Amino acid sequence: MNTSGNSNPERGKTLVLLLTLLNMVLVAAISALQVDATVRANQANRDSQYYAIQVTGSLVQTGAQSDFDLNTYSKWLTDTQQALVADYSALQRHSANDQQGYEQLTFESLIYQAQAGQAKTLSILLTDPAYAPASDQASPDMSAYLSDLNATCLALVQKQNNASDAYHRWSNKSDSFVALLTVLAVAFFLLGVAQMSRPNVRLLFSAFAIGVMGIGILWALIQLIF
Amino acid sequence: MEKPQGKEDRLSVWVAVLIALVSLTTAMTAWRTAALGSKAGDLIYQGLLDAVKKQASANEDWRRAYQEAGYARDYLVTLNGLLVQEKSTDPASQEQAVQLRTYLLPGMKSLATPLGTDPSYFTPGGLLNVQKRFQDLENQSPDLSSLDPQASFSQADKYYVEQHWLVVGTILIAVSLFWLGLSQLEHLRPRVLILVLGVIVYGIGLVWSLAVEVIFFFLRGGVL
Repeated sequence: MNTSGNSNPERGKTLVLLLTLLNMVLVAAISALQVDATVRANQANRDSQYYAIQVTGSLVQTGAQSDFDLNTYSKWLTDTQQALVADYSALQRHSANDQQGYEQLTFESLIYQAQAGQAKTLSILLTDPAYAPASDQASPDMSAYLSDLNATCLALVQKQNNASDAYHRWSNKSDSFVALLTVLAVAFFLLGVAQMSRPNVRLLFSAFAIGVMGIGILWALIQLIF
Repeated sequence: MEKPQGKEDRLSVWVAVLIALVSLTTAMTAWRTAALGSKAGDLIYQGLLDAVKKQASANEDWRRAYQEAGYARDYLVTLNGLLVQEKSTDPASQEQAVQLRTYLLPGMKSLATPLGTDPSYFTPGGLLNVQKRFQDLENQSPDLSSLDPQASFSQADKYYVEQHWLVVGTILIAVSLFWLGLSQLEHLRPRVLILVLGVIVYGIGLVWSLAVEVIFFFLRGGVL
């Protein structure tokens, strides 16, 4: 109806310019958020890798430690058993009236007992009250020992998993912000086309651009909230 | 009528120059922001390399410390048995003890040194102090054990923090571009007020960015 308005070639150009400037501010803000998400993702990724390196170290240490502890316990067990066997054999030789055999085996038992005594002194499984058997017939508390041995390693694995999760979370956010910037770039394109178009088409492209910017703002809010 | 029009044209030229200047500043702060991220990334890479080297060295030292502990255990156990055997009244057993002390024990002692022979490596409870031996082995390779990945990470964090604050400056400068762009619209009034607002925001953004740069330059100990 308003033919004078339709014929004005400048109609809507101010709106397009304002939208372009608003879009630019949005891009600046989203860029800042993208930088922040990237920094946090990088830090979490770094922590994750650092903890993974420490986990390997912890595994090497606990492996070597358990190897030593179990071998020491095994040495004590073997010497103790051999002392008992020598004692038992000595008694049998005594029953068979073999005095020389009896003395020899008894002395052999003393040697094994001395070795077992030294192995016991060196064994954490036999000296630490937390793991040592309550009686001569009982075994060390291997469950408590393994639990303590692996505690540091498991704690590091937990930290590594948490850092890895944080990395994926922030990395996804960063990717979303990059996609968002692409969407706002589309809005820039639409506004550019609008600025060059005839007044009626200009308003249509401006409406499209507003829609795209609206989607961008909504997406950014979702990213910020969740 | 011509005089105000001429003023308007001159203002438009000044605004255009300012927009160009602000755009250039935006580009520079954006470059600096990216460069900070890159430097932080390099430091993290360096820190992780140091961590791998340091951990590999520690792994080897732990392996060696426990290997020595095994030798020390075998030596001490054998020695204790031998001490009993040497008290034997049986000549054959005595002879065997002499042979063992002459030919077997020196080799075992050599492998068990120092963990099984130096009293400082025993805990008050009689256990072998493998941790102390590990620490001594670490001290023997200070070039690897003294690597400090955390120092690189800490420096990287400083770059990241500067990056955060510099982004704030970049946004302020970008916002000033918004106001300067508005002041280019001739039918908006008052143009000069909008222009001044743009210049003020730009000034704040510029001072902010420079201040961030200077503060973090000193915080990093004079490193850009």
